[in-house]
Order: sequence, then C-alpha cells, then structure tokens
Amino acid sequence: MKIKIIISLLLIVLTGTSFLYDGPPKPTYLKLTIPRGWPKPGNNIFANNPLTEEGFQLGKKLFYDGRLSKDGNIPCASCHQQFAAFSTYDHDFSHGFNNSFTKRNAPPLFNLAWMKELHWDGAINHIEVQPLAPMTAKNEMAETIENVLKKLNTDTSYKRMFKAAFGNASINSQRMLRALAQFTGSIQSYNSKYDKVKRGEATFTMSEEQGYTIFKASCNACHTEPLFTDNKFRNNGLDVNKSLLDSGRMAITGNTADSLKFKVPSLRNLYLTSPYMHDGRMITLQQVLEHYRSGINISQSTLDTLLKKRIAISEREEVDLLAFLYTLTDKDMSTNKRYAEVVTYKIHEGPH
Amino acid sequence: MKTAGCLILLLCLLANTQAQPKKPATGIVKIFFNNRINNHPVVLNDSTYTNPFGESYIIKKLKYYISNTVFYSGGKPLRQKNRYWLVNQAIDSSLSIRINLPENNYDSIGFLLGVDSARNTSGAQTGALDPLNDMFWTWHSGYIMEKMEGSSPQSKIVNNKFEYHIGGYEGENSALNFINLRLPADKKLSIQKGKMSTIIITVDINKFWDSGYRLTISETPVCSTPGILAKQIAGNFSKLFSVEEVTN
Repeated sequence: MKIKIIISLLLIVLTGTSFLYDGPPKPTYLKLTIPRGWPKPGNNIFANNPLTEEGFQLGKKLFYDGRLSKDGNIPCASCHQQFAAFSTYDHDFSHGFNNSFTKRNAPPLFNLAWMKELHWDGAINHIEVQPLAPMTAKNEMAETIENVLKKLNTDTSYKRMFKAAFGNASINSQRMLRALAQFTGSIQSYNSKYDKVKRGEATFTMSEEQGYTIFKASCNACHTEPLFTDNKFRNNGLDVNKSLLDSGRMAITGNTADSLKFKVPSLRNLYLTSPYMHDGRMITLQQVLEHYRSGINISQSTLDTLLKKRIAISEREEVDLLAFLYTLTDKDMSTNKRYAEVVTYKIHEGPH
Repeated sequence: MKTAGCLILLLCLLANTQAQPKKPATGIVKIFFNNRINNHPVVLNDSTYTNPFGESYIIKKLKYYISNTVFYSGGKPLRQKNRYWLVNQAIDSSLSIRINLPENNYDSIGFLLGVDSARNTSGAQTGALDPLNDMFWTWHSGYIMEKMEGSSPQSKIVNNKFEYHIGGYEGENSALNFINLRLPADKKLSIQKGKMSTIIITVDINKFWDSGYRLTISETPVCSTPGILAKQIAGNFSKLFSVEEVTN
C-alpha cells in the first residue's frame, strides 16, 4: 500500500514537472516508405537528418519560395514543376536569372533516396548539398547563401518553422539545406498503374502486357525495374551538341573514358517529362525510340556496349512499348497535395 | 515482491554511481600556423612578394583546412576525430587551434591538410565546414583544401589574377596529404594537467611555387578543378610545414 502511495506521488511530481519544462516541442518523426519489392536505398539520406513532418513542411516552403533566388522570381519550383513530375514542362532548357538559360534539361525529382549521385553528370555527391548549385549558379537562381539566410531571418514564419523542425529558431545553411532535402527526398513515385499491377491491384491491357515484355528484353538492362534506372553513367550515342560541347561525366571525373556519358534517367513519369535527353533535344517518345532504332552514333568510342547494335523495335512493337511506358505515369505523385505549394489567400474586404 | 523492487532500485542507484569513469588529467596544446614569407608573416593585399621565378605578386586570400590531428607518444597515436579547422590568413583567431590532450609526452604530431573524403560526402556541414566559408564547390561537390588568390603582373588573365583552388577527395584525383612533423628531440611536447603548451608551425609560403612541382604564375595562373595539376600543387603545399618552436 505504502509503495503504491509513493509511486503515485512520484508520478504526480514527474508529470507535474514535465508541464513546467518549457523545452522545444517534439517534432513528428516520419519514415520514408520503402515499397514492397524495392531495394533498400544504398545509403540512408536521412541518417544525419531525421525526417520529420516539421522539417518536410519547412523544406516545402523553401522549395516554393522565390526569395531563395536573387530577384525573387526563381524558386526551386520554377524549374521543378509538380505537374511535370518536378521537371520543367515543355522546355529543353529552363529559365534562370536575368533571361538566362540552364545548360541541361531539368531532371524530374522523385525517388531521390535511391540516387547516390545527382545531376546528369553526377557532380553532386549528397542530396543536402545539391541546392547550393542552382542557388548560386549565375544562370539559375544567382543568389548567395549569405543573402538567402539574411532574407529568411527577416521572416518570422521561418523562425517559427525552423524552431518547430530543429528545436530552436536559429537559421543556418545546414538547417536550410537539410529541410530542403527532407522535402525533395520525400517526393516518391510508386503508385503508377505499373506499380498497381505489380501489387495485384490492377491488370495490364494486352498491349501493355506485350509492351512490358518488349521493355524487359530491350530496355530493362539500363532502365532497370523498379526504379527504371540503374543510376549509372552511359553514353547512349547522341551526336555532340555543337553549341554546348557537353562532355558529361568526364567533366567531373577527368577521365576520358567518361566522355559523353550521362546519368541514365528513370523512365517513371516519362509522359510528364518531355522534352527528353540531357539537352532536351527530343520532344516526343517516338523520336526517342527512333534514336535507339536508327539514330545511335555507333562511331563514338565511349558508346555503351549494349547499344553498339542499336535496338531493333518494330513499329508494331513501338505501339505496345509506348502503351507500357504510359503505365509508369504516377498521377498520385504529380497531383498529390502533400507536395504542392501551400497557398494562403488573403481576402481584401472592400468598402461596404 | 516489495523487497525485490527495492533491491532493483538500490542496484540501479549503485550501478549509476559506480559507472562514472575517472576523467584523465588533461592539458591544452595550442598550435600556431605562422604563414610566412622570408621570415615575416604574410600580409594580405598590401605587400608585394617575389617568387623563386622572379614573378612579383600580392596575396589576397590564403586559406586551408587542417583536420584529423594525431599526437604520437613513443609511436602510439592519439587521434582527434571529427574536428576541422579552417586556417584563414584574414582572420587572426583562425591562425591557431586548441586541442585538449591527456597528460603525456608527445614526440611527433600529424594532421591532414584538407578535409577527409568521408566528410566530403556527408552532406551539409556547419562551423569550419559551412559552405558560407567559400571553401565548398557548389558545382562539383567537395571541399577546396587549400585556396590562394592574388594578382601578379606576370598573369595574363583577367585583372592579372591568379587563383589556386586546390581540391579533390577521391581516388586518383585526391589532393589530400597527411603531414607528419617530428618535434625537436630536446623539446618534446609535454602536456601537464591544466596547463597550456604551444607549438609554432612555420608555413613557408615562399616554397609554395617550387617544392617538387614548378608553378609559375605566367604559365599556370589558375587551378580550380580536381585533377593532376591540383595534385601537384597540393603536393607543393604539403611541403611548407615545419616545426619552429615548442613551449611547455
């Protein structure tokens, strides 16, 4: 009996003091979804940056905020539009500061937790440091990190959100970059028709089914399921764009064997990400397939060995293949409100 | 039941008090990096120097990373992990670093000139490694290990500039060098509880131009990518360090 009284007294004291303790509010921890049958991400991008709802929301606000750019007009989202699977819709190159253009086609953003290197040439070695590149590039957001932090510091809503995400209101480059990584690293695509078929929730049409067979025979070696990329760097035999002279991966490694190699892009959502290739030179998927059928420049010394004989796809097969590729479109991602900008409307009351 | 509960509580309390390890007695070593030319401290912007090839130049920026320090006592290493310092000639307080060490005599020291490869690939960092320090390549992830910028009439590029941004952390392109320095036999580092010893390291910038690799401003005014040239310049930089004095 005595013990019971002591314990209840202790409990009262403990709970009582917890109300008095005015520490930082606990964030809500989240877990990255690893869809069934998928490989585990090679390295945990959230190892030093625990994923939380508060961090995600802060990252989303930053992603859609033009103040991260010099003139206020170029948020991350200007080149990474959700309806285009976070690529730039209908643009070979994206628009940067002061009427400039980027030098490569903006890649879509999804399933980044499965990517070791980012950018077409793999220049970026960690998701957290990626935003430094577009933010400071003269032909993209053209701002300095110092200035961005100054601007964020003048906004009380940011102070509140940094506190919620990281325990106190201090705003520094690491926290800003980690919040952005929490948002972009959380954008996932695994609800296309293809995924539903794999989970037994839908069935392919006969044409899609045949397209899938062709895909597995002719495309899967590089655009490997379930990510639809092997994340390797390969030369797919495009003629060199003479106005860009882009050597791709070689610029990063300094190795001539990497000349003209670019990262294999995922085929997920490809109906949303036109135009195609690192320089956006192809508008339609028919053009892409025509390239693999007859356009590959087989004289290039670094051409991928899998493409030396080009890829034989008949016109009949092309119809089925395109039908299958359409099943990789994930509207759950491209229209998901969770990834969309939070817009607060102010209603101005006129005179009565 | 009651007694068992009390016993467990008591045991927990006991274990708690006994678990506190004895703190070893420690002292401090302060290492000064004296960036010098002709035995005088490097003066940014206002002094004109002449390199061994007769090229005159002024220095506007001089920065480099020190990390992974090691103190050896009779061959036994004591390593300080996860500490990074940016020595920046423009900031007086950055020219010395402080390290707590257990009481002991140490006969040589070592450090990595640069930021180790693991930390180059670990995402956004703070402190000395904050990208705000302008020592992180945004277009090709990785730290600039050493940076020297200035101008020289011998430079044929814009504004007669020279810019050496030396980096590269992986594989063949690694510009990282580990530097071991033996302390004078008669003047070992003797760390005593609560006291501060100092080591003064001379960094002879004059040797930067010709320590194994012949670097002339007229021929090579710029290096800003990892690769063979960066490795050669990093090799030169790694040979500038010598122990000038130890005080206990």
